[in-house]
Amino acid sequence: MNWPPMLMHIKFQNEERDFGLWLPLFLLLPLALVVLIILSPLILVAVIVLWPSGWGMWALKVLKAAFDSFCAIRGLEVDVQDNTKHVYVSVV
Amino acid sequence: MTESQKKILEMLAQNKINIGDAQRLLNAISDEEGGKNNAGHENTGHETGKEWKQSVKTSPKYLRVTVTPGENADDHGDMFRDGKVGRVNVRVPMSLIRAGIKLTALIPPEALDKANSALKEKGINFDVRNIKPEDLEELIQALGDMQIDIEGGHGEKVKVFVE
Repeated sequence: MNWPPMLMHIKFQNEERDFGLWLPLFLLLPLALVVLIILSPLILVAVIVLWPSGWGMWALKVLKAAFDSFCAIRGLEVDVQDNTKHVYVSVV
Repeated sequence: MTESQKKILEMLAQNKINIGDAQRLLNAISDEEGGKNNAGHENTGHETGKEWKQSVKTSPKYLRVTVTPGENADDHGDMFRDGKVGRVNVRVPMSLIRAGIKLTALIPPEALDKANSALKEKGINFDVRNIKPEDLEELIQALGDMQIDIEGGHGEKVKVFVE
């Protein structure tokens, strides 16, 4: 299993400003977990309601796939620059 | 025929490896002989088939796309400084590609039909439903042998490879 990403580094640079940000994703994960726990009764009801039509199972699969995709972005690096602008995104 | 090649054929004859493995190993040896591989990893002919198999079967971890501007031959300027071509360096983890292909299984069939017809309009006759998670590992292994080098009209170089 892939662990979720811990940090995200975003850097934006142009002629006027130079902006860099380290996003501590590991601090956002507990918050996301709390939100998920709070919303879990609603999610459960939605899944039960949608189950007969087949969309309930689909919704659960989508949630799992979304989490897997989020974990999989660890190691992603995008670095694009021209002569005046520079955008850098890295997920650690 | 070198010692290593003989050994691979013997392993194939003894059914220790399959035809695909043998082909990959033979390709790796021919690359080695062509001097493409790293210095220091010489084909001595004494390595066992298992070691060879491990070195060849290392799964690629990232897909890399790079665009680098070339020198402008017309005015001896720099394409990058002129702002005509930028620099791009993208590294995509293979795990993200795996997750993406698994996500395609969740796309509703109507949306897949639309995607197929859009691809057909662009002249790409490909059914996206043919991409199955079961074939994923084989596909990723095959990507290991891929390298695309394109040189544009302005001298910019585009490289797509895995590492």
